[in-house]
Amino acid sequence: MNPQSKSTSLSADLNNFIYGVSRRNSQNAPELTKIGINLLKNFPAARDAVLEYFAMVFHDAVNVSLNQTEYEADINVNGSLESVSMIGPELCSLGPSWAPFIAPWCISLIMDIATKKSNIPNVTLQSTEPVRVLLDMTTQNLTLLNSDERAKCIDMMLGSWQCSWAVGWVGRAEPALVAPRALALPADAARAVFAHLANHPLALAHVRAALVDMFHEAIKDDSKLEKRREVIPYLLNLASKSDVVLKALTQDIELTLSWEGMDRLCSVCASQRHSPAWEGVGPAALVALLMHSLCSVCGIVLSDSVQKNQIQTQDKYLLQKLEYESLFSDKNIPLLTSAAEESSVVREKLLTGNQLERYSLARVLILVSYNLPSEFVSTISYLLQYSRNDTTLAILVRIISGTITMHIPNDSPDINMDTERHQNFIKTGVEYALRDAMISDTEIKRCFIEDKVPKDQKTYLHYYCLNIIKLLRWENSNRVGHLRTRPIGRAVEASLYRIGGALQDYATLLRVRPECTMASLDEMPTCHALAEVLDRVDMSGTKAPPPSVEVILKVVQATVKYFFRCLHEKDMLDKLRGVQTACRLLRKLCIHSKLARAIALRDLLETAMFREERAFGSRSVVANTVTSNREWANDELLIHLNQKHGAITQLTQSHTSVFHAGIIGKGVRKQNGADNGDGIPPILTTNNELLMAALMSCMDGNSGVVEGATSVSLLLVELVSPDVMYNGLPWPDEDFTKQVSIERELYMRGALENCAVARAALRRAAAARPALCLASALLRATAATLLHRHRALLDRHSQSAEMARERAALAELLATMTLGQLLPHPLSHMLELAPGLTAGEIVQVLRDCLWNYTRDHVPSPALFTCDATGLHWRDPSTCKPPATYTDTLRLIIQKRISKLGHLYPIMFLNLEKETQ
Amino acid sequence: MSLTDLKHQLRKFDFPVCAKEALNRIEQLLVGRVAPSNKQLDIAMDIIAEFVFCEVDRRSGRRTAGITPLQELQLIDIICEYLSACVNDTTKNTIFLSLFGGMESQRRLKILSILASMAVSASSTPVLLAVGVWLQQMGCSSSQSLQLVENIIRDHFFLNTSNQNTLKSLANTAPQFVSNFITAVTELYMHDLQGTKKLPPKNLLEVITSWVFSNPTLCMSAQLNAAALPSGSIPMAAVTPLAGLIHWCALAPLYIDEDSEMVEVLVPIKRIKIENERDHPTLKTNVNKTLTEAELYTKLHLAVLHSLRAGRRNHGPPTAVNAQHLAGLGPHVQAYAHQLLKRGIKLQNDDKLQDCLDRIGQAVQVALANGCVYGNISNLLAALDTLPENRLLRIIIKTHQQTI
Repeated sequence: MNPQSKSTSLSADLNNFIYGVSRRNSQNAPELTKIGINLLKNFPAARDAVLEYFAMVFHDAVNVSLNQTEYEADINVNGSLESVSMIGPELCSLGPSWAPFIAPWCISLIMDIATKKSNIPNVTLQSTEPVRVLLDMTTQNLTLLNSDERAKCIDMMLGSWQCSWAVGWVGRAEPALVAPRALALPADAARAVFAHLANHPLALAHVRAALVDMFHEAIKDDSKLEKRREVIPYLLNLASKSDVVLKALTQDIELTLSWEGMDRLCSVCASQRHSPAWEGVGPAALVALLMHSLCSVCGIVLSDSVQKNQIQTQDKYLLQKLEYESLFSDKNIPLLTSAAEESSVVREKLLTGNQLERYSLARVLILVSYNLPSEFVSTISYLLQYSRNDTTLAILVRIISGTITMHIPNDSPDINMDTERHQNFIKTGVEYALRDAMISDTEIKRCFIEDKVPKDQKTYLHYYCLNIIKLLRWENSNRVGHLRTRPIGRAVEASLYRIGGALQDYATLLRVRPECTMASLDEMPTCHALAEVLDRVDMSGTKAPPPSVEVILKVVQATVKYFFRCLHEKDMLDKLRGVQTACRLLRKLCIHSKLARAIALRDLLETAMFREERAFGSRSVVANTVTSNREWANDELLIHLNQKHGAITQLTQSHTSVFHAGIIGKGVRKQNGADNGDGIPPILTTNNELLMAALMSCMDGNSGVVEGATSVSLLLVELVSPDVMYNGLPWPDEDFTKQVSIERELYMRGALENCAVARAALRRAAAARPALCLASALLRATAATLLHRHRALLDRHSQSAEMARERAALAELLATMTLGQLLPHPLSHMLELAPGLTAGEIVQVLRDCLWNYTRDHVPSPALFTCDATGLHWRDPSTCKPPATYTDTLRLIIQKRISKLGHLYPIMFLNLEKETQ
Repeated sequence: MSLTDLKHQLRKFDFPVCAKEALNRIEQLLVGRVAPSNKQLDIAMDIIAEFVFCEVDRRSGRRTAGITPLQELQLIDIICEYLSACVNDTTKNTIFLSLFGGMESQRRLKILSILASMAVSASSTPVLLAVGVWLQQMGCSSSQSLQLVENIIRDHFFLNTSNQNTLKSLANTAPQFVSNFITAVTELYMHDLQGTKKLPPKNLLEVITSWVFSNPTLCMSAQLNAAALPSGSIPMAAVTPLAGLIHWCALAPLYIDEDSEMVEVLVPIKRIKIENERDHPTLKTNVNKTLTEAELYTKLHLAVLHSLRAGRRNHGPPTAVNAQHLAGLGPHVQAYAHQLLKRGIKLQNDDKLQDCLDRIGQAVQVALANGCVYGNISNLLAALDTLPENRLLRIIIKTHQQTI
């Protein structure tokens, strides 16, 4: 290339530029800018002039874009804006060797603009296109500088207070440089810088680091005295002015106010308190700081305050201030927010802290709970689960009442609505606690793995129950003012369903018990506690709405389960106490609800007869039909044995197959076989009595016994009888039973006899006349089988064990029927007569006196009249059995007068007297 | 015409125009057959201060803040135009030196720097020649000169790196300027004994090498062409860049860390012997591939040797290289040798040191043989004698000590 021609063209550029600049207007700006950029590249020496021109362009552009309305914001409209958009990328891409010129130029231009436009809000200024381009350029070029030059540039910016926003903006690229420098400024200027710097998360970290550094520097032992004197007041002052600093300071307060930090700070404070710079450091400043700080800090402060009185007062002041502040609901107090965020820590502190801490935190929590119902709920839930002593429970009471009554004058109209709302929260809290306690019980715990389970380890649910019980006790004592409205009681009543469910869960035998969890512990103590909770709650519906059907069902089922679990308790005292609780519960539930009674009775009887029969000494009603407990040889099987009898087995309904061969599935009946046990299971056992007590407690109240006994009778029939046929009251002809229903009768007799519970229940029914009538099918079955058996045994096995059983059964039948007034006066003495009779005589008596009488006088409730006291009975004077039914007896006595004579007067003399 | 009248006339014009007018007036004042009187000089200086550089306020006479960069640019344009239009070298240099000859004004020095840099950009020969004269008159190693040179280097070797061809052509159009420029540049680099050794940037080295290599007489040009100075002024002796360049070439092997150079060496470096070099002086003139710094220094060394040969003067005393200047190499080499000894390395086995000593020997031999050295030669030889052992050096010292 010919250098001469090149040089002329270059000077032409130069001339054009100089000429253009001297006649500068907005039209030629793009043209000039182009030339300027060219010059910059080819005539580096002209950079000062070109940059000065560019600065003018920027000033113009800022003016234009400030005056411009939104709609005409078209870059092409104005030359200076267009130029700016050309200059920006060019200056950004010049490279590191240019940066030392561009960066200071940018910064002084920013400062110029900021100073000139100081009457315009920063935000508007920042949003203009030229300023944004300029800031971008600055940032870009700053990054290209080496650290010394960069620091110099930033110092240059920090010197001007008008462009602190720009420092903040540009500082985002270099927060590590800006932050410590800004701290060296006076508080006002630093505030402005930080306010802009903090919009950038990365920068915030540096601000925080710088603050922490400064603080640590200040409390370092060896730092210079006069320097250290200033720092803390300065920080407090800055914090009170700048939200960002406050936030940064408080976010790192864990670092600053660590244990050693506190100690050293205290010593510094002590030595410096009287210097003039510390005048502003009153409690107010610190409280303002603390109010924004996290609650963990408060924890530190609190725990520290134990030793230091002055902080204690500080603390009080803080709480008062907080309570005052939260009167304004729209205010957002960071301390409370953070307390809400870290509520788990706070709550833990409630349990472990010292007294002051506990009460202060309780006050904080009240404030938090008032604003955040969810925190209220979880606080209740937490304390109910983890409180282990009265103090913490007292705090809970305090929090509950405090939250409810806060800011609500007693005469406010919406007090009801509000307390209702809070009551709901409490209920939710109670339910959550229950749920969480149950969940915690199924979690694997370290102490199990390490095999260090304390002896008296209780399940979480147990603790929960103990807490509830204690609260309920306080409530019922009526001595705790805060609990006068029964918040806990009402909450528990409202969550009966869940508590019932929990009891059911824990009382069930099939409960899953994962290894190494609380659930693997013995569940009975928990059950007792749960039952006690239920016991302490009012279910009558007098103080609160009555529980729903669903709830009743749940609780009844749970109670029945619990009852049977209690029967298995080894410790007699526990057992009795548990049973009593269950009875009380049943009584409470059944007294108001027939439904509950029906359910309870059925559940109790069913369980006692079919699932828990062993506890009552009963044998299973249904012989082993499902599994065979041993392998049978072919020739032992009844089916084969029966085939040996030839034609006999072919007869349907014939008794021979049963009478002589045994029981299906058990092979041939063994004489006095050990597995049959001897005789009938006794009625009078503890468990039986307890069950009866439970049954009776279901029938409490007005006419409850008769109704209850009636349903017991019906239930017994239902449970014992294999089908619904022939379950009616009437007794058919004796022959009929022989021909048609003897198998059924046998089955029923066996079932009844083997089941002590059923027999005992029958007796109770008999006592509650006329309930026994409804169990007439059972009586009939016994009577029929007795007739048959005695007839079959006539003279054959008069002294055998079988005979003894039959006689015992007879005695029981007679006793029951007599008790139920089904056998009126002379007949009722068959009971005393029976032991002296032979089998033949018994058959006769049974047929003529018992069966026939009952057949002709159908045992029905209609026979019984209700007297004024509501008692049902059969007047003996009006229901004398006709002679047809008594003659057999009379004849037998007369025949064996020597032996049975003593009964004759009792049975017949009065009778005769009357007839005469 | 009195001063007040002059000023009165000039005050009718605004800034750019008044400067132009002022230059014409100054020319009338200063250039003539006889040297101007002191009064005339004072008037010229006043006018320059007020109307050219605007250093004095027109009304109050107080010093002002000066002119803005844009005005500077206008002023520079005017000065350029004036200098280019000047047909007489003496007139041009007279005006130029009176504009910028003052030692004290930093502001004027800045404007001069810009002017010089722009002249380099625009390859404006008249201006460059004037700057060359200025450099020579101020002394190439004076602080003002160094400042000017530094500015030019920054503008043309750091900020604008795309103008190498233009720069290379300067050697032909303005050799006096280039020669003085190189002399000043050699003062800037590789000069401090302690601390970091400041090395010239590679592109600067490239350009200087190409200048010296392509034109062996370049180094002597400032001396050969005497500057056209205003009458009555004292011409300053031009110092050739040769001594400085010998410095560079000799010390380069010591200071350049060859491992750190990222450019891969494609061709094995062939050490050029003096005999060969004499037979094929233009062996590597057309080198298009980029050379490493070490190679560049080698090339530069060759070019310097050529220049020394061209520096032989047929009449008059030698002027090319100052013996004292050459002797200044001693401390650098000894410091390096001392470091080697500290690390326990034998001096004879260190290739870099030997390379350095070889180059010193070659340069000294060529310079002495061509009668380029002035000053105390025996001192030089004594200084060389204290350097570490080197066979070539030993031979040279012996030879020349005998001749003296």
